Amino acid sequence: MEDTLIEALAGRATLALEDGRVFNGRAAGARTRRGGEVVFNTSLTGYQEVFTDPSYSGQIVCLTYPHIGNVGANPEDQESSKPYIESLIVREFSSIDSNWRSDESAHKYLERHGVPVIWDIDTRALVLHLRTAGALRGVVSTDDTPAEQLIAEARALPTMAGQELASRVTVSQKYDWTQGSIDLAQPLAATAAAGATGSNGHVRKKNGAGAPEESARHRVVAYDFGIKQNILRLLVDHGCEVTVVPAQTSAEDVLALKPNGVFISNGPGDPEPITYGIASIRKLLGRVPIFGICLGHQLCGLALGGRTFKLKFGHHGSNHPVKNLLTGKVEITAQNHGFCVDPDSLPSSDVEITHLNLNDHTNEGLRHKSLPLFSVQYHPEASPGPHDARYLFDDFIKLMKAGV
Amino acid sequence: MPKRTDIKKIMIIGSGPIVIGQACEFDYSGTQACKALRSEGYDVILINSNPATIMTDPEVANRTYIEPLSKEYLEAIIATERPDAVLPTVGGQTGLNLAVELAESGVLEKYGVKLIGAQLDAIKIAEDRLLFKDVCRKVGLEVPNSAVVTNVPEAIRLADKMGYPVVIRPSFTLGGTGGSIAYNHEEFADAIARALDASPVHQALIEESVIGWKEFELEVMRDFRDNFVVICSIENVDPMGIHTGDSITVAPAQTLTDKEYQRMRDAAAAIIRAVGVETGGSNIQFAVDPETGRMVVIEMNPRVSRSSALASKATGFPIAKIAAKLAVGMTLDEIPNDITRKTPSCFEPSIDYVVAKIPKWQFEKFPGSDTTLTTQMKSVGEVMAIGRTFQEALCKGIRALEPSSAWRPPAEVTTALLRERLHVPGPDRIHWLFEAIERGMTRDEIHSLTKIDPWFLSHMEEMVALDRQVAATTLTKCSREMLLESKRSGASDEELAKLWNVKSASVRGRRHELGVVPVFKRVDTCAAEFESFTPYLYSTYENSDESAVTERPKIVILGSGPSRIGQGIEFDYCCCHAAMALKEDGYETVMINCNPETVSTDYDTSDRLYFEPLTLEDVLAVLDREDPQGVIVQFGGQTPLNLALELKRNKARIIGTDPESIDLAEDRRRFGALLAELNIPQPRGGTALAPQEAVTTASEIGLPVLVRPSYVLGGRAMVIAYDLKTVEEYVAQATQIGGLSDPKRPILIDQFLENATEVDVDAVADGEDVVIAGIMEHIEEAGIHSGDSSCVLPPVSLKPAVLEQIRDYTTRLARALRVVGLMNVQYAIQNDTVYVLEVNPRASRTVPYVSKATGVPLAKVAARLMTGRKLRDLHLPVTQVNGVKELAVHDFFAVKSPVFPFNKFRGVDTILGPEMRSTGEVMGISTTFGQAFAKAQLAAGQRLPTEGIVFISVNDHDKIHAAPVAKDLAAAGLKIIATRGTAAALKRAGIDIEAVYKVNEGRPNIIDLIKNGKVNLIINTPLGRESFYDEKSIRRAAVRYNVPCITTLSAASAAARGIRAMVGHAADVAAIQDLHRRKSVALP
Repeated sequence: MEDTLIEALAGRATLALEDGRVFNGRAAGARTRRGGEVVFNTSLTGYQEVFTDPSYSGQIVCLTYPHIGNVGANPEDQESSKPYIESLIVREFSSIDSNWRSDESAHKYLERHGVPVIWDIDTRALVLHLRTAGALRGVVSTDDTPAEQLIAEARALPTMAGQELASRVTVSQKYDWTQGSIDLAQPLAATAAAGATGSNGHVRKKNGAGAPEESARHRVVAYDFGIKQNILRLLVDHGCEVTVVPAQTSAEDVLALKPNGVFISNGPGDPEPITYGIASIRKLLGRVPIFGICLGHQLCGLALGGRTFKLKFGHHGSNHPVKNLLTGKVEITAQNHGFCVDPDSLPSSDVEITHLNLNDHTNEGLRHKSLPLFSVQYHPEASPGPHDARYLFDDFIKLMKAGV
Repeated sequence: MPKRTDIKKIMIIGSGPIVIGQACEFDYSGTQACKALRSEGYDVILINSNPATIMTDPEVANRTYIEPLSKEYLEAIIATERPDAVLPTVGGQTGLNLAVELAESGVLEKYGVKLIGAQLDAIKIAEDRLLFKDVCRKVGLEVPNSAVVTNVPEAIRLADKMGYPVVIRPSFTLGGTGGSIAYNHEEFADAIARALDASPVHQALIEESVIGWKEFELEVMRDFRDNFVVICSIENVDPMGIHTGDSITVAPAQTLTDKEYQRMRDAAAAIIRAVGVETGGSNIQFAVDPETGRMVVIEMNPRVSRSSALASKATGFPIAKIAAKLAVGMTLDEIPNDITRKTPSCFEPSIDYVVAKIPKWQFEKFPGSDTTLTTQMKSVGEVMAIGRTFQEALCKGIRALEPSSAWRPPAEVTTALLRERLHVPGPDRIHWLFEAIERGMTRDEIHSLTKIDPWFLSHMEEMVALDRQVAATTLTKCSREMLLESKRSGASDEELAKLWNVKSASVRGRRHELGVVPVFKRVDTCAAEFESFTPYLYSTYENSDESAVTERPKIVILGSGPSRIGQGIEFDYCCCHAAMALKEDGYETVMINCNPETVSTDYDTSDRLYFEPLTLEDVLAVLDREDPQGVIVQFGGQTPLNLALELKRNKARIIGTDPESIDLAEDRRRFGALLAELNIPQPRGGTALAPQEAVTTASEIGLPVLVRPSYVLGGRAMVIAYDLKTVEEYVAQATQIGGLSDPKRPILIDQFLENATEVDVDAVADGEDVVIAGIMEHIEEAGIHSGDSSCVLPPVSLKPAVLEQIRDYTTRLARALRVVGLMNVQYAIQNDTVYVLEVNPRASRTVPYVSKATGVPLAKVAARLMTGRKLRDLHLPVTQVNGVKELAVHDFFAVKSPVFPFNKFRGVDTILGPEMRSTGEVMGISTTFGQAFAKAQLAAGQRLPTEGIVFISVNDHDKIHAAPVAKDLAAAGLKIIATRGTAAALKRAGIDIEAVYKVNEGRPNIIDLIKNGKVNLIINTPLGRESFYDEKSIRRAAVRYNVPCITTLSAASAAARGIRAMVGHAADVAAIQDLHRRKSVALP
């Protein structure tokens, strides 16, 4: 089986950027071509979570760690039902997967979902280029399209600024989410015997397991602008009853669900064109506790009267230090954003800056001074990334307990 | 959080001599800590007995004590210096144990000294396996089932209950000393006794076996604000069951999903908090069941470690430096990242390459020792290699390890042998893995024999497959694409040359024709996310190059590669000094080295660092890129010297002594001719290629003879032959082992000067002028390897006429060899005749020791001379007699003593000989020779007794000379016991003595007395080559029960002087900054 895999990995692939730079490498995954904004992610672990993070919709992701695919793919490590990256760029795409939880190779997984991969290129050279030039539009081809055509196609792509992508990835119908996190501490054999297994064997925490009081249920309505499932799992772990609603759901419809709190999710693209989301937040503000993450944070910032701007090449990784200005402590955070809230644009009478990125001093968090709303630019749900910021879910529970 | 202002003076305890499990990584960490604390305005008081360290340079700390690392000396220093705090976490296990001892004995409290970095409670929890396990369980983590035992019967009962295999780990030992795995009841009974003995607290942990599980380490840091970061994850290619110091490891971890990795990270954070390590770095080890993912915590080191040095080099994050700053209250976010400058140190490095670490073993030095790799560390050094892929890193690591000789399987490899070599891990298992793949063994089978993760195995299979494809082509037919792919997966020119049966120079030529040349990429902590300001580089075969070479005048310094016996920290010291001096002189300095433990591979040491193997190919690639004004090869020991001639042929501008002169000094015929021309005597000698020829040569020379291969490294494979049969056997064996029958590298046979005094001389020269830097008199007689002898500077028993002769010869030799830089000469003095044994026109092992003893940094001086500066302009403090210049010596004696790893190689005889076996050295300084010797012995772990019982057993030749020694010892108040023969001889000399039984004579015999703790010092000189069953068991018992054992009469005599000098004297301590200011005196 592996021999055929090595053969399958032997085709040629090309990455062409809008500025004319071309990288030639080998192909894996699907035979096709896809365009998008080329960004790099510096996480050392968690490629499958990256693939399946809907926030990467419209983006081609270069993973800086050179060996990708080592641990294969499994249903537990998905952040949504399928990969959202347009294409993947790596240095070495592993021909074998070795991990006790692996169900299939990363190659098969991406091929199955139609995602093309270019590998065996100097990814560090690409990163240095993007660091200097900023995120660029590009096309990855595994179908032998000539480079000149790919460059032209890259130039024809829309720029990320101004793109409203949330409506592309959001759910069409509302649904309830009941799954908690998997418990790795339970060995496979034991869980299989117990019968209470996840898709390939792990026990999932029951709704409310680990929550302080069994009785303290919190009804949370989560706006899906491209939501990562680990946010939902953590809400369940924290004793929440979660209903996920489409991005365009009106504030009135949300309030009709009688939530104790509303969650504004992460998602792809530029926040500014999501005017419907901004409007909903404005209506919900003060009527129900609100917690926003990433795109959700940007939408909160816009709803509170601030502005957002595009970063040169964004923050994508699992090692960004963020200082909690309320406690003075530093969290190592997972980040994935190309846009940022301009803290100076926020009305200081209403809004307090709570978190600061220590690498480039951009804004990472805010809260309303008098109304129950807080949001962070980074990903407290991690996945992939460190779990340092999980306390924010506790904060959300506290906020809901306090009510409006 | 701002730094603490309630403390001003901080004491740092170093790790002492280099031993297995504790090597130059603690010079690296200690030096960083000293610099970091001084940069924050603190005064640093340093104590370390090891003179070959950068940290003991007078500029590094404010006050530096090269004194024995024992409680009484530390207390004396504390009483003198009155530090406010002690930082116990940068001096390895030695430093930590001493700090605990000082705290527990009340010394710290008595002088009001605070512990910073780690508090006593935290240290005790982390170090005590039982407490540690409790803490882990309390925070919900799993640990292997285990029990702590303090006696053998209880241990056996528990182990039987637990089921075998059982892991045995003695408490509070270095590098897992005394640890092992027992597969059955019988093995266990033996192993547990040894483990309990090895533990200073007579305690050991027996544990459920997790052998074969995946092994991971996290290097973590925490600050006073409770900020926590993981600097690096490390995955052991060799799974659980092999000490991590003996495992091939890679960074970062390769086979964990994010969920699994974050679970480990969460566990590490919970552990460091629960243990209570408030600030600094810790290393935490985990095992993961590859079948179920069950994770257990193995252990924690609440201090910087070998792994943290590796992690620092692997990521560019300087753990020890940051740990020192955190210890004084700074927080991670307040400390900038040196490499990016703009971002803080409070982050987790992201890397975009793979790092492989491979240990270096030297079992050939210890014949008879068990070469199986277990939970007790046996390697003497390591290399690190950086590549963009695992394959590239692994290949670079393998060639960095031993650049000169390729591994070859035995003539016949049976399946049974192959399986055994895979299943029972030895030092060459990596080669057996490739062998097995080449022979078509399946991945499943290899995995089941080794438990090595299939991911690693599959990459090795790809390498073998690629090699096959390459081998099917030829040098000229191989496409550029295939050549590039082969280079990208790490193949060296030498390997390709072998596949194609051509010279590696041809491969290099072809590569250049096809434009297949490496580029250099940066280690920058952030996977290129931010700009880096430190050119810390590694080679790879890709497109973009980040070396950003400058046009400044620059000098490349070649380091010494992995630490080995005979080529250790001393050479790294010299390389660092060269970098410092040339930097001061305005050159850009460029270092090439592959040893992650060292100061030379700190990105701070040189302007530019290339972390590369020291092979011709890799060095030339750097020189091609840098085009330096000069290349220094004479500071890194034999490794760079072996490259010198080839580098010169490839147009490298080697500065300092011409490689031809170095070669001449190594060439017996030409060197013999030179000595004859200079009218300088040397022992008679000859060469041979075959056993019979050797016998003829030896009989012409006259017995005894010294037999050895050419191009020696630490006297490797030497023997003193008293009969022709030994000569014949040695040569037969040597030619069989291979390589030694090379006509260019014959067997050397020399007259052996018995009972001669050996003298080492270091000198510096500028091509015209010569300055003798130090004349060192060996304590042990000639025949004992110079690296294994104690020596004293200035000499104590050499006659003025002999000294004059030595000075004259040294000066003339330096001129004749046109030495520019350093030179070391070894002399033997027999009946007032001075013979030259060896001349090495390069840095020697004694350079740091002489530098510390004289206060003149010789390697710096030498580096300057190599760039064309002249001795007369450097204004050294010299005395001049009859045109011969010599550094002034001070009014104190400095004794250097070796430290041996015998406790790691059970069953190996401890007798000294021409084969170097010491791993490290210490220095003792005092105003009398006796006291300096006693201090050096104490520092080396041999506490000479000032009361109690001395056991003497000497050979007939030594019996007459033993009397004065015994008299001295008796006069010092010690009781003398001896075996019958020795006792009779000493009685005749009028010494009050009691005879005791030899092993076969009755009970209690001498071994019983040693075991019962009745003997405080053993003086035992060997009786002859084959007759030592009795003696061997005495010496083994001495190692096991830690009784000082002296095996030469000359050392015994020095010891007697030392004991007499010590009686009634308190610990005398002096900072080297004061010593160097003391008056200097001229030698007679």
